[in-house]
Amino acid sequence: MTKKNSSMIQRRLIPTYIFLIIVSFISVFPLYWMISAATNTSVDVSRGRILPGAHFMENFHNLTSQQPLWRALGNSFLYAIVTTLVCLLICSIAGYGFEVYHDKWKDKLFSILLLAMMVPQVATMIPLFQMFSKARLLNCTLGFILPMISTPFMIMMFRQNARSFPIDIIEAARIDGLNEVQIFFRMFFPTMKSTYAAAAVITFMNAWNSYLWPKVIMTDNNSLTMPMLIANLITGYVTDYGMLMCGVLFCSIPTMVVFFVLQKQFAEGITGAVK
Amino acid sequence: MKKKLLSVLLAGAMVLSLAACGNSGTSDDGGSSEGGDGGGSEGGNKLTVWAWDQTFNIKAMDMAAEQYKKDHSDFELEVIETSSDDCQTKLTTCANSGDYGTMPDIVLMQDNSYQKFLKSYPDAFTDLTDCGIKWDDFAALKQSYSMVDDKHYGIPYDNGVCAAFYRTDILDQAGYKLEDLTDITWSEFTDIAVDVHKKTGKYLLTSESTGGDVIMLMIQSCGANFVNDKGEAYITGNDVAEKCIDLYTDMIKKDAVKLVNNWDEYVSTVTNGEAAGVINGNWMNATITGIEDQKGNWQITTLPKVDGVDTATNYANNGGSSWYITSNCKNPDLAKDFLVSTFGSSTDFYDAILPATSGIACYLPAGESQVYNEPVEFYGGQPIYSTLVEYSSHIPEFTKTPYHYEAREAVNTAIINITNGTAKEDALKEAQETLEFKMSE
Repeated sequence: MTKKNSSMIQRRLIPTYIFLIIVSFISVFPLYWMISAATNTSVDVSRGRILPGAHFMENFHNLTSQQPLWRALGNSFLYAIVTTLVCLLICSIAGYGFEVYHDKWKDKLFSILLLAMMVPQVATMIPLFQMFSKARLLNCTLGFILPMISTPFMIMMFRQNARSFPIDIIEAARIDGLNEVQIFFRMFFPTMKSTYAAAAVITFMNAWNSYLWPKVIMTDNNSLTMPMLIANLITGYVTDYGMLMCGVLFCSIPTMVVFFVLQKQFAEGITGAVK
Repeated sequence: MKKKLLSVLLAGAMVLSLAACGNSGTSDDGGSSEGGDGGGSEGGNKLTVWAWDQTFNIKAMDMAAEQYKKDHSDFELEVIETSSDDCQTKLTTCANSGDYGTMPDIVLMQDNSYQKFLKSYPDAFTDLTDCGIKWDDFAALKQSYSMVDDKHYGIPYDNGVCAAFYRTDILDQAGYKLEDLTDITWSEFTDIAVDVHKKTGKYLLTSESTGGDVIMLMIQSCGANFVNDKGEAYITGNDVAEKCIDLYTDMIKKDAVKLVNNWDEYVSTVTNGEAAGVINGNWMNATITGIEDQKGNWQITTLPKVDGVDTATNYANNGGSSWYITSNCKNPDLAKDFLVSTFGSSTDFYDAILPATSGIACYLPAGESQVYNEPVEFYGGQPIYSTLVEYSSHIPEFTKTPYHYEAREAVNTAIINITNGTAKEDALKEAQETLEFKMSE
């Protein structure tokens, strides 16, 4: 490509860049504002101050003295990581099974499973609560993760992606003497890494941000999670906006880190795992 | 290798989750998780409480526990921070599943929303009528929020008495004094507000456009409501309601009130100095005193009253909350004794919590104490606490409705429609129908 050509292309891209810069600004600004608000006093935030201030430590101190921040972070990490690992295992095996061993009846079963996606979570709240209360699963990790570890959406995602997994590999592996479990873990799992990454990001975020279910079953201060902690910050007659934003910052960082680390695989996983 | 790694991770995860379950079962052997998984305690000397706001309600509850411990050394109290909305969600879930086992012993509930729960789930709460409290020590209105059929279910705690907070520095600029705004009517207020806005650019009143409290204060200060004695929607044909709505729409048309979209913007008008006045519950005190650079510029006085209504007063209530003992409480005698000897009868207790939380008591004898009568520097030396308790004793009673918030929204929408040009009759009719529909749901 000559110099002239490339400069023409660049010039043509100027409007695109301008558009992208504007859109990026709109997307990034709330994030910036959250960080800057965490460093300002409540009155400054309320007055609309945008520049960063020098009150981060004060907000942080208020937050940790009023709320059990570390315990909530620890709980949220524990619940989200356990949920993500167990959910990936169960849903990937289910999705793989539905695709690789499919027959007429399994396809019908899968359609029924998809119908479950249409039932809103709130509608199942009361029966679920009754079940968990009777099974004495309140206030514990198992109670938190059980309703989340197998979701129709995740099973569907793995099934769709398993479709692109070459059936020849499975047959070759069978001829080479691998059993079905070995095929799943040694062949399917390494090939579908990007699907796992995408599923991990989605599940982790859902588990991390989930609010209603933990709020209903966690009736103990020791089981507090980050979204519950944030909700506690806005219940009083006065909202300390600086402290609130400091809390929101701590709640957002883990999901941001998970997303940025797995960003490339996430994009691949969503668009299709096997090229 | 990967398989091994995965199995180790998964095994670890399962062990952790089971360990966490085990912990919660054994950690508080004091009783709360014994049978109820964090709910009411199994007898013994421990009580669990659901309340919100660390700096206010929870602090007051903790101080009550400390005081009670002086005479009852083995008493234990655990407060579980639960917001008002979450408390309602949990209560609804428990009631609908028929399992109150996770409810605490004592619960704090908003006065404006309690009636709905008492009527829907009467078996969730304990009757406190004969618990030993002198009910006349509480203002009649505050008692009535937690009463059904002459039975008391709650101990009024957080006072929602309203006051008009004004910026005296801005009033000075416009040539007014606090006395000019004391014991006036809403139409006099409107004239002054228009003048102040013209001279200083500031608003004497700000309000949320869809959920504003002002209209509710106006009608309730007349001892009336948007429902009739039978609890039915009563917006059309209600003279008092129409007078209030006329006065309020007039204020909007004359630009005497600034309408904002939400609560954060409402607070912002106060912090950024756009508001020269706030008319709302005494709890706005906490927001106002948080603005250090406005110290000494605020003072309080009575609300304006509605013109041309015989029962109109300069006093109203907005919000507040009360303590309730749930039916899940395994030791109701202890819970009653604890609440009665602290929130229900102790001026010493109220004297102690006032400086720590700025919480203003519903307990009328507290208002006579030395602590309540001390001048408050932020308000230029006004003894606002005793003044507010005194205001609260004048508030007229009115018919409560479980549909307080629905009525508020319907009427506020009608007001916005009227100011946008809809005929008053049509707007009120629509509000009446909306409220009737909500009540039938």
